Amino acid sequence: MTFEIIVMWVALTFYAAATAMYMFGVTFSKDALTKWALWASAAGLAFQVTSLGIRWARLGHGPYLGFYEVANALVFCVAAFFVIAAARNPRLNAAGVAVMPVAVLLLGGSMLASKSGLPITAKLASYWLFVHVAFANLAFGAFALSFGCAIVYVVRVRSATGKWAKRFEKLPAQDVLENLTVRFVLVGFLFWAMMITTGAIWANEAWGRYWGWDPIETWSLIVWLIYAIYLHVRFALKWRGERLAWFAIVAMLLALFALVGIPLAFNTPHAGIGGYGKDL
Amino acid sequence: MVATTIPQGGASDPKVADWAATHPAIEPVVRAIGLHQAFTSLVFTACILALAVSTALCAWQRTKAALGKANTLRQAAGADKASLTESHALEIACDPALSASEVLSVASGTLGHLGIKTKRRDDVLISKSATWSVWGSPVFHWALLALILTLIVGNLLRSEGLMGVAVGQTKADAADSYGLIHTGPLHDWRRVHRGIRVDAFEPDYQSGGIDRGPTPTVSLLDAAGKVVKTQRVYPNHTLKSGSLTIYPSDYGLSATFSLVSASGAESGRGIMLVDFSDDAAIGTVPIDYLGVSDRAGKPLYRVFVTVPLDRKDGAFVKRVPAQLTARVDATGPDGKSVFVRTMGLGERIALPVGGNLQLDDIGYYARLSVVDDWSIPLLYLSLVAAMVGLTITVVARQQIVSATVIETLDGAKLAVRMRLWRNASSSRSEIESQLTQALNGVETGSTT
Repeated sequence: MTFEIIVMWVALTFYAAATAMYMFGVTFSKDALTKWALWASAAGLAFQVTSLGIRWARLGHGPYLGFYEVANALVFCVAAFFVIAAARNPRLNAAGVAVMPVAVLLLGGSMLASKSGLPITAKLASYWLFVHVAFANLAFGAFALSFGCAIVYVVRVRSATGKWAKRFEKLPAQDVLENLTVRFVLVGFLFWAMMITTGAIWANEAWGRYWGWDPIETWSLIVWLIYAIYLHVRFALKWRGERLAWFAIVAMLLALFALVGIPLAFNTPHAGIGGYGKDL
Repeated sequence: MVATTIPQGGASDPKVADWAATHPAIEPVVRAIGLHQAFTSLVFTACILALAVSTALCAWQRTKAALGKANTLRQAAGADKASLTESHALEIACDPALSASEVLSVASGTLGHLGIKTKRRDDVLISKSATWSVWGSPVFHWALLALILTLIVGNLLRSEGLMGVAVGQTKADAADSYGLIHTGPLHDWRRVHRGIRVDAFEPDYQSGGIDRGPTPTVSLLDAAGKVVKTQRVYPNHTLKSGSLTIYPSDYGLSATFSLVSASGAESGRGIMLVDFSDDAAIGTVPIDYLGVSDRAGKPLYRVFVTVPLDRKDGAFVKRVPAQLTARVDATGPDGKSVFVRTMGLGERIALPVGGNLQLDDIGYYARLSVVDDWSIPLLYLSLVAAMVGLTITVVARQQIVSATVIETLDGAKLAVRMRLWRNASSSRSEIESQLTQALNGVETGSTT
């Protein structure tokens, strides 16, 4: 096991510890524990950045290729978005109980995948690669935070006895939380649109066609349209409350499926998250 | 969603045929509803049109809403103490120890803490978004509509095909030069006057430390045969000229023959293209054939050409072989083999119609993907406009918050008027509770 991978395991350990601390902290109303959980998340992020930096220097390219690298980049964006948001607005900290498990599961999954470095091929040798992947990661980070806010919203609504609502009482009021969910969705929607746009431009440069109905392209569009529907039911049909929160939760799971599940399920020539060494 | 789980293509497409063979029960249904060509089916086209119509309606609605918001923002700029006293959303009781000026200072600080930066004008606090902030959504929707329409028109005008061109060969950019071509119903070939030539082919071209793969050097010629542009084409380095994009799709080998009379005079020349195939006995398969007829024009036989490849570690080497030979397989109209010969460079085969077929050269050919699409710059323009509109929608706040101190029988109160349309940093209830807490008073209800 190389130093780079050991550091990544340390990052995963910190993320797992943060998740556990959030769960205990929220369940038993221990504020100090949720504060420590944020520090653990930040430490995990620092170790992950270190490991990714070492890998970038060694391979000469960013985390774009293969499941290990791309899942890692997604987790980096989720954790970075969350740590920055919670540090700026401590009232959001308890949402880590929903956000950090996403990071742990995704990073844990990537640790089981092949960690060998894939070379940049002729079709990938473009600055569009960085731009396209960066927007995908940023979009997923924003969607993960909307997911976290929506989960907390639903838990508070569903808390018939009020116990869970009390456990999340440090979080902003429900309407603020709902606004935050919508704002994170809006930000993710913008980044996802930019991912599709830059992908189309790059596909035209690399493959001579801007759109080919490749399963990943199609599912990216499906996810974008689903979020467009979310925004329209929110702003045009004035949906609010629990059903809007459920919409955000399901939409994020679909986004995750588009990024992680599609390359696993379909034999697509598109690099996406799961290049798995396919000829690109 | 369903279409992504089913192979797309025509019935002869190997992936479609394999899927049909492994799913015999549902294949008739899938075929009947056109799921193998879902993205060009009538149902899908109808969905796209419905999306365009709904986008247009939404754009219209967003424009009307933006006009209303812009008007409200303009009116908010003129808010004064009198108008706020007359019409406001809530009143917040203030600590009697605070003067009116102090109340406004505390309110300004509290709102600032909530991300609402206010300006003080006489006795009024005001926070107003810029008028342009309301135009993001309409711009985004109209740009999206323009994008959909450009896509539709582009597909009507577009032509996209695969053209095999041997090294040294020039082909006219015309429908019959393509092996596979998709042309929009409005594409006008009469306006296309150009040629495409492959000048060279490097099977292992490298640049910038990256293996670019098999790389042809392609020249684009105008109607007069003058070179317009020449460059190597490889992924991320397509040849672009006006509406034309040329991209290397694949490559194979070419065999050049000439028809030579008994006296040795050349009477014709032809280039046969062959593709690599791991399944073929000698590693290549012919793409087309050469028809040989008698003097009366009656077809005598078809000549198929393949090139035996070298082998390495049990696999065919997809390169020009060390020994330049071609296998010529002639079959009669009944499909029976007439003769099979393997010939080297310069060798001749006597034809029954007279004259000889001579192998002159074996080299590479490039299969070029040639796209003629005027809509691409317009698509990019629509995308940029859509992204600018969406960025404004996501980033720019759309809100008006104004406040002033009013004197009532119950003492001084902060009268607040607010419109929080989008991206407000806080909610109405939070603003209310924070101001109430800061001013040490009790919220006494809304008046409008």
